[in-house]
Amino acid sequence: MSTLTKVLIVLLTVFSIFLCGIVVTYVANADNQKKIAQDATRDLRAARTAREAAQNDLAAAKEQADQMRRDLEAQMNQLTVTITDLQAKLESVQRENTQMSQRVRDMGASVQQANELQASQMQQAQAAQEQVATLEAERTRLEKELAETDQTLMEKMAIVAQLEERVKQLIEANQELETRVNQYLRPSGLTTAAPVTVTQRTGIAVPAAPPVARDIGLNARIAAVDIKNALAELSIGSAAGVRPDMRFHVTRDQQFVCDIRILDVGPDQSVGILEKIQVAPRVGDVAATNL
Amino acid sequence: MSPMPQRSAQLSVPSNLYTAILAVALGAVVATAAFVAFQCYSQYGTIFGMPQ
Repeated sequence: MSTLTKVLIVLLTVFSIFLCGIVVTYVANADNQKKIAQDATRDLRAARTAREAAQNDLAAAKEQADQMRRDLEAQMNQLTVTITDLQAKLESVQRENTQMSQRVRDMGASVQQANELQASQMQQAQAAQEQVATLEAERTRLEKELAETDQTLMEKMAIVAQLEERVKQLIEANQELETRVNQYLRPSGLTTAAPVTVTQRTGIAVPAAPPVARDIGLNARIAAVDIKNALAELSIGSAAGVRPDMRFHVTRDQQFVCDIRILDVGPDQSVGILEKIQVAPRVGDVAATNL
Repeated sequence: MSPMPQRSAQLSVPSNLYTAILAVALGAVVATAAFVAFQCYSQYGTIFGMPQ
């Protein structure tokens, strides 16, 4: 075997081993392209599926967003209408507020006027009360004067009665003297002449006729009784036609009680003295001018 | 590689060293080819065709 053959054998062996090592190393470290492709395909399919799902979700979200947008637009329209109504109501309420404020101011002015009027009326009432008090004092004074006048009148009437009695006695004495003188002068044919008096005769005074109560027909009730002084107060007075010296017959259940002769008469009550007492009169007994 | 009787004086002992070297080289190549074929089959399912 030649040397060249040997060299070639050795070189062939060396290069073969070297080449085999490189190939083994490369193949051992090479990637599995099929697996990579399958993974990529699976990833691609999953990505497509995810894209479709995302597109579906996007479409659903868009639909939901559109629906929500429509709902919001409807709500906005409703709210706009509500705002318009509320603005109208607000304007109405503001107008009413203005009117009420004006009315309150007017009422305040009216109240002030009423207060002023009340103050004026109070002043007038006070003045009227003062005037009433003055009139009351004047009335009291006049009543007192009237009572004094009545007393004086009663005294003077008593004096007049005494004088009339005296005049009557004097007239009777005069008539008796005149009769005696005529008896003395009759045999001689003379008569007495009428005496000449200083005071001119005006005729005999005729006492005033007592009030005729029988024709009036008054009915009253006993308002108060004073047995000790034999006085009674009736419930009617001059306003009903009661006059002094009127006589009322008091009865109780078809029973005669007494008579009352009126002494003093007031506007709505009268006072009289008890006469012909059969039974003690009581408050509430019926008094009438006609039985 | 037959011996040459004419020149016996110059005869040399036949050596199988280079045959062994060639055998080693052949074994390495075969082993490499087998390994590559195994890898191709295990990864792509075929040795010579295009993987599906």
